[in-house]
This record gives sequence, structure tokens and C-alpha cells, in this order.
Amino acid sequence: MEDWIIDLIKVVFIWVWCLLIAVVMTWVERRASAMMQDRLGPNRAGPFGLLQPLADGIKLFTKEEIIPEKAKSILYVLGPALFALPAFSAYAVVPFGDKIVLGGKEIILQVADVNIGFLYVLAIGSMGVYGMVVGGWASNNKYSILGGLRATAQLISYEVPLGLALLAVVLLYGTFSLREMVFQQSGTFLGFLPNWGFFKQPLGFILFLVAAYAEASRVPFDLPEAESELVNGYHTEYGGMKLGLYLFGEYVNLGTLSAIIVTIYFGGWQLPYVDMSAFLGPVAYGIASFLVFFLKQAFFLFLFVWVRWTVPRFRYDQLMGLGWKSLIPLCLVNFFITALLVQLTV
Amino acid sequence: MDLYFITFAVMAVGAGIFTITAREALTSALGLLTVFVACAALYLHLHAPLIAIFQISIYAGAILVLVVFVIMLLMSPDDRFEAVQRNMAYRIMGTIVALTMLGALAAALRDVTTGGPAPALPEGFGSPARFGELFFSDYLIHFEVASVLLLVALVAAIYLGKKKL
Repeated sequence: MEDWIIDLIKVVFIWVWCLLIAVVMTWVERRASAMMQDRLGPNRAGPFGLLQPLADGIKLFTKEEIIPEKAKSILYVLGPALFALPAFSAYAVVPFGDKIVLGGKEIILQVADVNIGFLYVLAIGSMGVYGMVVGGWASNNKYSILGGLRATAQLISYEVPLGLALLAVVLLYGTFSLREMVFQQSGTFLGFLPNWGFFKQPLGFILFLVAAYAEASRVPFDLPEAESELVNGYHTEYGGMKLGLYLFGEYVNLGTLSAIIVTIYFGGWQLPYVDMSAFLGPVAYGIASFLVFFLKQAFFLFLFVWVRWTVPRFRYDQLMGLGWKSLIPLCLVNFFITALLVQLTV
Repeated sequence: MDLYFITFAVMAVGAGIFTITAREALTSALGLLTVFVACAALYLHLHAPLIAIFQISIYAGAILVLVVFVIMLLMSPDDRFEAVQRNMAYRIMGTIVALTMLGALAAALRDVTTGGPAPALPEGFGSPARFGELFFSDYLIHFEVASVLLLVALVAAIYLGKKKL
């Protein structure tokens, strides 16, 4: 097979896979929230209500397209696209498996193994805010504008701890390539723990997790949407598939963030203590590594849902205070300790 | 001519013109965003992926977000730019800045010769490791001067922000 065909297949596969995760996540969110609140949730469409996302999709697609009279029509249409595009592109550098050998050709399970993959994720992740801002501004509605305003301040504040937590990881692994980072997490640490970033960077992991929740603007940091104050924040005026793109983009973001957490802190596709490539055939190994990665990712996706329905929302000044006064100093401390340890051990 | 270069150069210049002629603040900011993205694409073409990523994450992802934050804080979607754009003092200052930049560009381009094959790139050109090496050896003084500049801005911000010092 030609190389570009393989690349095309990988791109399409990852795109469909991201969409699929987002679709299933809408169902998981509703069922899990129902479970936690002692109700049933959507259970009519298909077994366990599994066809509910399909029904929702049909509803969103067939809804009448309404552009509010006072809205800026071009920006209004542009907003959801600007939000969904970075969400989908960030996944390009995530290594979602090791490699698979098909017809004597070795295919790495990653769309692009670039040596600055990690910076790419950060850069693309920071672009998502424009979707919220443009959506809020174009709606020309006070709640939407307030939502967009909050989104800008929140995302720019939490990008700093996110980047600082990741910098400590770069210091630890000495590379920007996400694939290389996964390879360095094989074997054991201190003789009995899996050699995962989590065990070497426990503080960094917690800081990253908190910042990631804020970057995805999920509860407890969903201030840009805050339905009790801002109706629905920046997407109040949206309906139909434009709203769908915002909601989808959010779940795709969650998928990407979970994948990054798994890649950097939890050994990517590797099982602890067991080397799968030793006893599995080349094709089976490729599929197994993909599944292991997905299982880990699924756990963190569920954690996003779990936290959402467990903790209450922060107040806005608390959010900013936490970001600037707690997370950033802690990140700097973590960075300093890591630098010291790396310097002492190398 | 190089089609990739032409595409993104036209995009950058077009978006730049759009940025200074747009009537609304946020569309103007989006024009600037397009300029940054086009420049990043050009850096990629010049075998400098790291600079391209910095361009996106720092200029588009941080500085412009702050600009947008200020726009959202101080303006409403129905506000127009016209009064600012018609201001003669701004126009004159803008012209002076633009001419200075053009002069600097012309001075830099004077010694450039065109034609002939491009020279081979040195080993590891544009890689993060090579970048860091140059950054902390040959260009250390530039880095330090820039950091002092930022420190000055920081002190000024604290001075303005604090009610009582």
C-alpha cells in the first residue's frame, strides 16, 4: 500500500473514532448522572438507551436553522466551526497504540510522530477559546458575551499551570515527542511500581488534571457555561447542529485530554509488568495496544463525568484565585523539585 | 514560484489588510489571528517547526487571547471602530511605524542574492535541541534583555494595579 493511503486511513479512522467517543460519551454522561442521582436516565431508545445519541443526532440535524436577528451572521456560523476544528486536530499527534504489522509493512498507530508533538497539543489546545469567544460575541446577547469573556480569562489563566506541569514532564523524559515519552515508561520504577509518569510526577499529575478540567471548562470549572447564572453562556443562542458542534467539540476535547493524560502519566499503550509484544502476534499486539490505550482513556473519560456529577461549581473569583495563587506556585515548586532531581540523578 | 509560499503569503498580507480596515474590533482580531496562522505556516515551510508552534501558542494562543479579552471587556458587539480609525494622530503614528519597518526590511534584504540552489541545512536544523543550544549560547544576551523588558512591564503592572504600595 502507498504511504499516503495508510495516512489517509489513519486520519479517517481517528476522526471517526473521536466522533464515536463523543457520541457514546453523551450517552455515558446522561446514564452515569442518572445512576449517581438514583434515577434511570434515557433507557427507551434501544438496549439501555444506547440509541439515544442517534435520536439526539437526528433531532439536532433536522432542527430549523435559526440565526437570531441581532446576531452577526457570519461570525455566528463561524463560531462552532472554530471550536470543533482545534478539538479534532489535537488528536493528530497522540500515539493511540504501538504498531501493527500488516502485509509485512510496519504501521505506527499514530497519525503524525512529530518531534514537537507535545507543543503541538498545547498550541492547538489554546486555539479552542476562539470558538467560545466568537460564539459569545456573535450572539450579541449579554449572557453569551459574559460567557465568552469568562472563557478567555479562564483559559488563558489555566494554560499557564497546564504548560508548567507538562514542562516538568519534558524535563523528566528529555523529549517533546509523545511516542518517545511512552517508550520511556516501560519497565518498573523503584523495583515494584510501573515506570509511569504518574509515580514520578504525582504532584504534577494532580496539577495537570485540575488545569485540564479548567481547560475543558468542565464542572467544577464550567464558569463559561454556568447555567444557573448565564443560561448557557456562550452557546445560549445556538440551536440545531451548531449547538451540536459545541457539545461534540467539548467531548472531543475531553477525549484528547484523557489521551494526553494516559500518554504522559500512565504509560500510554503499555500494560504494567507485562510486555504484550512478547507473546502476541504482530497484528494481535497492535490491536491489544490500541485496546489497552483505549481502556485507560475510557477511565479518565469516566472520571470527567464522575467529577461533574459529584462536586459543585467554583465561584469566579475562587477559580481565578486557585489558578494564579495555588496552581502556578505549586507548578513552579514541582518544576523546581523535578529539575533538582533530574540534575542529581543524571 | 512556490505555490505553498504564495498561498500563505497572500493569506498573511490579505488578512493583515483586513485587520487594519475591519470595522469591528473582534473581526479585526480574527484577521490578526489569520495573519499569525499564515506566518506559522510560512515558518513550517522554512523548516522551523518549533518557531511555528511558538507563533501559534504564544501569539495566537496567549497574546491575542488577552487582546480579545480586553475587547470583550470594554466593547459591545455593536460598537464601531470608525472614530479610532479616522483619528489623524493614529494614522500618522501608524505610517511612521510602517515606514520604519519597511526601511528595516529593505536594509536587511539589500545583501540578499536570489537564484541558485538553496544551501543545505545544517544537522538538526530547527529541532528543539538545536534551538535551545543556540538560544542559551549565542543568543543569551537577547534572551536576558527580553526578560528585563518583561520585568519592567511586570513592575509597571504591579504599580498600576496596587492601590497602596
